Amino acid sequence: MSALDRIPTDNGDLALLAGLCCVLLGGLFALTPLRAQLPSAFYVFVEVGILFVIYGLLVLGLDLQYGHTGLVNFGHVAFFAVGAYGTAMLSAQDTFAGIGLGYPWPLALGVGVVAAALVGLGVSVTSIRLRGDFLAIVTLAAAEILHSIFVNFEGVFGGNVGILGVPRPIAALVGDADTRLAATLLVIGGITLVTLAGVTRLTSAPYGRVLRAIRADELVTRSVGKSTVTYKTQAFVYGAALAGLAGGLFALYNGAVAPGFFTIQVTVTVWIGMLLGGAANHRAVLAGLAIIMGLRLISRFALDVTPVSSDVFASIRLVVVGLILVAVIRYRPAGIWGDPQELGVDR
Amino acid sequence: MSLLSADELVKEFGGLRAIDGLSVSIDTGELVGVIGPNGAGKSTLFNCISGVITPDEGVVTYDGTEVTGDPPEKLARRGLVRTFQSTRELETMTVRDNVRLAAPDQPGEQTLSALLRTDSMQSAERAVRTRTDELLETFELDHLADEYSGNLSGGQRKLLELARALMLDPDLLMLDEPFAGVNPTLTDEIAERIRELNEDGMTVIIIEHELETLTELVDRLIVLQQGRILVDGQPDDVLSDDRVIEAYLGGEV
Repeated sequence: MSALDRIPTDNGDLALLAGLCCVLLGGLFALTPLRAQLPSAFYVFVEVGILFVIYGLLVLGLDLQYGHTGLVNFGHVAFFAVGAYGTAMLSAQDTFAGIGLGYPWPLALGVGVVAAALVGLGVSVTSIRLRGDFLAIVTLAAAEILHSIFVNFEGVFGGNVGILGVPRPIAALVGDADTRLAATLLVIGGITLVTLAGVTRLTSAPYGRVLRAIRADELVTRSVGKSTVTYKTQAFVYGAALAGLAGGLFALYNGAVAPGFFTIQVTVTVWIGMLLGGAANHRAVLAGLAIIMGLRLISRFALDVTPVSSDVFASIRLVVVGLILVAVIRYRPAGIWGDPQELGVDR
Repeated sequence: MSLLSADELVKEFGGLRAIDGLSVSIDTGELVGVIGPNGAGKSTLFNCISGVITPDEGVVTYDGTEVTGDPPEKLARRGLVRTFQSTRELETMTVRDNVRLAAPDQPGEQTLSALLRTDSMQSAERAVRTRTDELLETFELDHLADEYSGNLSGGQRKLLELARALMLDPDLLMLDEPFAGVNPTLTDEIAERIRELNEDGMTVIIIEHELETLTELVDRLIVLQQGRILVDGQPDDVLSDDRVIEAYLGGEV
């Protein structure tokens, strides 16, 4: 059907190999005098590419939660933000506002991931037993509460300014911009690929079978002896931890975090990418996300040739995204590469 | 020896007393039928015993320990397995996966084993696959193994549900209307299968409306009415009991 289907499906081992190669190659750029040269027209592609691989971690986590387990999480950005703020506050030096403790960045990244996982655990413990749509409301509310905390506790989180002075490990090693961008893309992309391998292994194992059974019918899954609450909690926490990792990497790439990076727009983008590609299929959700984020690229170029202002153009882009979503739900409710029978949607 | 006993169970839904001080005891190796008019409390009794709902009063004892209010997953792991009245398939999974899912003690259901793809997980999965194929063959579902279970007919769903329950190798199997919506030939086959399982030592409790098949099959028949036991005894005695005839036919005889 497509190029995607021709990639061998050997349970993600290919992704593991490719991911490790990417990290190695990225490390090579960062640690040796090896230099990359990018044509300047390429910059924008690489920048969007970096954002794509970071969001890729988000969509993989969300797909574990929703695609496989059926947990509706409308507050995914919250865990992204917690990971980012956790990493930033622990590692930032001389931040303009808020707290910056100046610890080494690997420690900070670890704490960011754990913090996101713990917030995920907190939401799970209180709400994972709720029926699907109620969990959606709780997660949406949790995300709004956290957003509002980040904005309003200025002494701690730096308000609208956020946390500045976050170390940028790759930028610190590489001087020139071309190599830095290439190395960043390779390292974070490699991490995303390794994550893809991990979630593929998890979901192709009997573990994934239990998750999909919970999505299909929780009571049946319980009646054959599976502790569904444990599995739902695990899936939710793993998704949150992945979002935390994405946030931490984002902070260390960007060098600063602020509430503006963590709006509901992130959740929406990731959800649409997942639904567009086809939930419960890891490569499909990444492809769907690529399509949605590809629109950003197109719109950057299209802005120059259209006779409207950038404000109007941004609105038009949202309209286009909405139309795409409507079209997908109307004509391919399981997503482009999704399996309608596996997702239980009528066509 | 009593494998399962319920003592003075009470369950109310709003003002309705679905089960009203019901006590029953099932011995190991028995094949028991439960009948009663609609609303007699048959399914509620099953739900109370299997942990789907918690009884308001009373005690459920299984295999020597009290299990009142224990969740279904815990009971299933201890060998008390049930099926549902309206078949509940995992419609978005294949027939094969429906049965494989039920396999107990699969280490690959732990995160770490799944991520590392451990040997213990793989050898367990090989055993699960063999067992699944055996069960599917026994129930003549092997030609449908890769079909999504949402596409099965009513009778095939009943068979699949039974195969899935047997994957757990239960000590006590509780079947809620296993013959409902199943054609007569298949009914006889399922009944035959249940009899074989019982002869191999499995304790079985069956709720059923299909009286003819049931009375031929079971050793003991329990009649429920309005949340209480009306009659409990040999099938022939029970069916000739005036109270049962009255409850079922609703008139004087």
